[in-house]
Amino acid sequence: MSDILLQNRPELAPGVRLQNDRLTGEAMLLSPEQVVILNATAHSIVLKCDGSTSIQQLLDSLATEYEAGLDVLQSEVLAYLSELHEKKLVIFSP
Amino acid sequence: MYPSGTDLSITEWCRVIDEAADLGVVHVGFSGGEPLLHPNLPDLIRHARQTKLYTNLITSGIGLTEQLATQLQAAGLDSLQISFQSDQADLANEIAGTQAHEKKITAVRLAQVANFALSANVVLHRKNIERLPQIVDFILSLGIKRLELANTQYYGWALLNRPHLLPTREQVTAADNFVTREKVRLQKHIEIFYVLPDYFMNRPKACMSGWGQRYLTVNPKGEVLPCPNASSIPNLRFDNVRSQPLSWIWNHSESFNQFRGEEWMTEPCRSCPERTHDFGGCRCQAALLTGDAANTDPVCDLSPRRTIVDSILATTNETSPSASLIARHNPSLSMQ
Repeated sequence: MSDILLQNRPELAPGVRLQNDRLTGEAMLLSPEQVVILNATAHSIVLKCDGSTSIQQLLDSLATEYEAGLDVLQSEVLAYLSELHEKKLVIFSP
Repeated sequence: MYPSGTDLSITEWCRVIDEAADLGVVHVGFSGGEPLLHPNLPDLIRHARQTKLYTNLITSGIGLTEQLATQLQAAGLDSLQISFQSDQADLANEIAGTQAHEKKITAVRLAQVANFALSANVVLHRKNIERLPQIVDFILSLGIKRLELANTQYYGWALLNRPHLLPTREQVTAADNFVTREKVRLQKHIEIFYVLPDYFMNRPKACMSGWGQRYLTVNPKGEVLPCPNASSIPNLRFDNVRSQPLSWIWNHSESFNQFRGEEWMTEPCRSCPERTHDFGGCRCQAALLTGDAANTDPVCDLSPRRTIVDSILATTNETSPSASLIARHNPSLSMQ
């Protein structure tokens, strides 16, 4: 998905809800037809999909949080966001 | 203690919702019948949201007023699915048996104002399948971003009317080609889900993702069903949330264990490598068409009973039914 720009601001699509499972405590995304369980990294990413944080800001803060290089993070985070976009769980504002 | 035939009270429904959440349920769908007719619907949705369940309302849209939409929004309803019969008021009203079409369009507008995740569901059959291009245009024009195109499943009412509803092979092929093409062309505007009619396939659907694996339905009487149509299976007895906790019913009831896993399977399923993907197909369809719910779904061409489906298809494609549809009657709320 090459049309995601670093200045785009990801947010959860309408009707998508982030919450923790009341039995296991796992973070998950819920939509009308889907349940997607999030691991710790995925959860950090989704928490920042608030419609006001840009992908660049999201990457900067993850780099600090995980003490990882931006170059490594960028391809993985973009791939993950585009996966969530294809599943109609995340949309991008310009 | 309870008069027989009494529907669950709001207190009982709330307890069922709590028990479902404790069991690990994350989605609750309010369907029916027509759930909008239930006087406590907003309360039940509010309770489900407080229990952190994802709430989905499956409705005809008829009866959604501005006041009710506001109440549902305040209750925290996540998602709403409205059924349509066609793009044209005349055909839609003939199929629905009431002046429904305009009311559904009003319901879409109200749902959009309330900002629910909105989808449309159109059940396809002989009388509307050729209008698929117009139906897709119509749904697009309403600004709906998600469309489920389901083919009629022949249980209950639809089984009675099967000669009127089952499309011809030519109709199915045309619809299939259209959807395959349009799904890609329109993917930025609308998400289209299409379920092939199983009579025309050579393998059965993975019904309910396996019996007693992911879904349960509680009907207004409190009976717990492994699938919404399970009462069409003769001699299957359902336990009731008034007598047993939901977790006991899920784990131990005869009805849930009857077709859970693979022990119940007969040949050709029992030794078939595909049994882990399709679970032998649909138990209700096996019961209705072969007389035994433990048989392989006769849609499967490995089944010795596939001839039953083939002869239905042969008869349907030859005849042009003239008698009118048998009207539907409206039951009330169920939850799954």
